Amino acid sequence: MSYRVGRVKGVYAHTSLLKSLTIELEDDLNIIPGQFLMVWLPGYEEIPLSPSYADQNIVRLTVKGVGETTKRLISLDTGDRIYVRGPYGRGFDLDKPGKYLLAGGGYGAAPIIYSAYKLSKLGNQAVYVEGAKSIKEQLFIDEARKLGLEAILVTEDGSSGIKGLITDYIKQIIGEFDILLGCGPEPMLIKLLNMCIESGVDCQLSFERVVKCGIGICGSCVLGDRGLLVCYDGPVFNKERLMDLSFKEVV
Amino acid sequence: MVDLRVELAGIKLSNPTVLASGILGDNAALLRRAAKTGFGAVTTKSFTIEPREGYATPIIAEVKAGLLNAVGLANPGYKEIKDILPKARVNGVPIIVSLAGSKIDEFVEMAIYAEDWGADIVELNLSCPHVSMMGMDIGHDPAFVANLVGELTGVIETPVFIKIGLTDNYMEVVSRALDKGAAGITAINTVKAMAINIYAKTPVLSHRYGGLSGPAIHPIATRVIYDIYREFKPPIIGIGGVEAWEDAVEFLLAGATAIGIGTAVSKHGLTISKVVSDGIRTYLEREGFESVRDIIGYVHRK
Ligand SMILES: Cc1cc2nc3c(=O)[nH]c(=O)nc-3n(C[C@H](O)[C@H](O)[C@H](O)COP(=O)(O)OP(=O)(O)OC[C@H]3O[C@@H](n4cnc5c(N)ncnc54)[C@H](O)[C@@H]3O)c2cc1C
Ligand SMILES: Cc1cc2nc3c(=O)[nH]c(=O)nc-3n(C[C@H](O)[C@H](O)[C@H](O)COP(=O)(O)O)c2cc1C
Ligand code: FES
Repeated sequence: MSYRVGRVKGVYAHTSLLKSLTIELEDDLNIIPGQFLMVWLPGYEEIPLSPSYADQNIVRLTVKGVGETTKRLISLDTGDRIYVRGPYGRGFDLDKPGKYLLAGGGYGAAPIIYSAYKLSKLGNQAVYVEGAKSIKEQLFIDEARKLGLEAILVTEDGSSGIKGLITDYIKQIIGEFDILLGCGPEPMLIKLLNMCIESGVDCQLSFERVVKCGIGICGSCVLGDRGLLVCYDGPVFNKERLMDLSFKEVV
Repeated sequence: MVDLRVELAGIKLSNPTVLASGILGDNAALLRRAAKTGFGAVTTKSFTIEPREGYATPIIAEVKAGLLNAVGLANPGYKEIKDILPKARVNGVPIIVSLAGSKIDEFVEMAIYAEDWGADIVELNLSCPHVSMMGMDIGHDPAFVANLVGELTGVIETPVFIKIGLTDNYMEVVSRALDKGAAGITAINTVKAMAINIYAKTPVLSHRYGGLSGPAIHPIATRVIYDIYREFKPPIIGIGGVEAWEDAVEFLLAGATAIGIGTAVSKHGLTISKVVSDGIRTYLEREGFESVRDIIGYVHRK
């Protein structure tokens, strides 16, 4: 698969370091929520990003500027070109019946809100929970409400919504759900996994590793001692797969 | 029941499929997974004396008839062999340790270490096309290769294979290496190539040059295997664009004893080894052979 050329159609600044870019591609892409694209800016690196929305030839990327390439990405303007290949990997399975709990932490909310779009289309019941440092970094609460979902913001500093850690809040409500979808920092994911194991709730969690090839050939994205590949077997892994891992080395 | 077992310089493989070097292989868990999934042997990523980060992304470019890569020999350094090999070993599947370097001393140091930690075969990467002073840069020099192989076979007992690429003089390199005691030949590595994005108007790979693998190089590899077998009949690990059992059978008929699989792992997953070895089995049954060994180099008998 070689690159598709896209153009930036719009940029929304959530904060100065956290932006959503709407990209228009020349042709349609079918992306399952949780799958990722390899995004290349010539002169910079090529990096994996999981869209926060996609429909036909429109893809939205929500990017946090953490290094050279992501900082360049969030400085793009309308009309700038961007190169993508993919989608790659396994996304969330949204066809399972039941009540969904959606948990996104930081830019990890990206594939979670995209899942919310699909779930509401499918008519599945879902509650959206987002964890952020403060109200400023909140991403998709309004969007989730517009989709008709109950949406709860958890902020670490208590500047809005519930004060605390997203995992502490989820612990209180998890029993009401059948399945949890999660994406965010790894400590959050591991806490969520342990909660799901204890409470018997099913889960699918999206993990990150350094993705270089994106196509399951270079080995750079290996997760755990069973040799799972984030880019090929994941990034979304189900509970059975994850229970099989020893997370000692991962945490 | 036909027999799929083959031997590479005395090393027994339960079937002829081999995980090619650089495919997932500097991680013990991944090598172990490959071995469990059905490969007859697995090859590690090429190790170097010092750890290497490798090149910046893009490290791969997907092209029409294959894949370009310039990983840049990213690896944790040869000392990690000590941790990786014991963990990677499973079900008695042989492990081929690939080594890359610039100087004979480096290869000697790494080869002794690999032998100490249980390498079944040591494969010398004399053909990586995208790292300067290593791989192809040294592998095209028959005198250097002869010295290198001579030194190594003097200090280790583990069979030494040399991995060659596409050069004008590969027959001379192979001849000199075998004279000095190389136990077998791995052929071929990727072919130096480039891909340019016409809208970005720049080479895609950060390193600009890369190595071409996949279907595009399969007929080239068939020719190289054919030439080497006809002239020298050494054990050969044939590699290049094997995506299906038919491609593997073609290599066997040309003279390969074992079949390396690389790029196809991306398209088909590690279970490709099983698909290929099952296909070879069915072919042998239908064509009336009892053992895969009966078709190695078969075309040369006509
Ligand atoms: C499947 C997947 C989906 C992702 N989705 C998003 C997303 O929607 N939004 C978002 O902002 N970020 C996402 N990321 C993370 C994003 O890819 C990294 O932040 C980015 O690669 C950093 O590149 P950089 O050049 O800006 O920073 P660098 O200076 O290169 O690195 C900064 C940090 O990012 C990590 N990193 C570097 N390169 C990679 C790489 N190739 N793959 C993964 N991590 C890397 C490093 O370990 C380091 O901690 C995702 C990662 C993965 C694996
Ligand atoms: C991503 C990638 C990394 C590779 N790394 C190495 C390496 O470290 N050492 C080596 O000898 N060959 C390396 N190769 C070459 C392969 O082992 C193999 O010879 C080549 O890809 C041709 O086989 P294929 O068409 O089945 O991929 C690499 C190939 C690829 C695609
Ligand atoms: S990034 Fe190369 S195998 Fe996953």
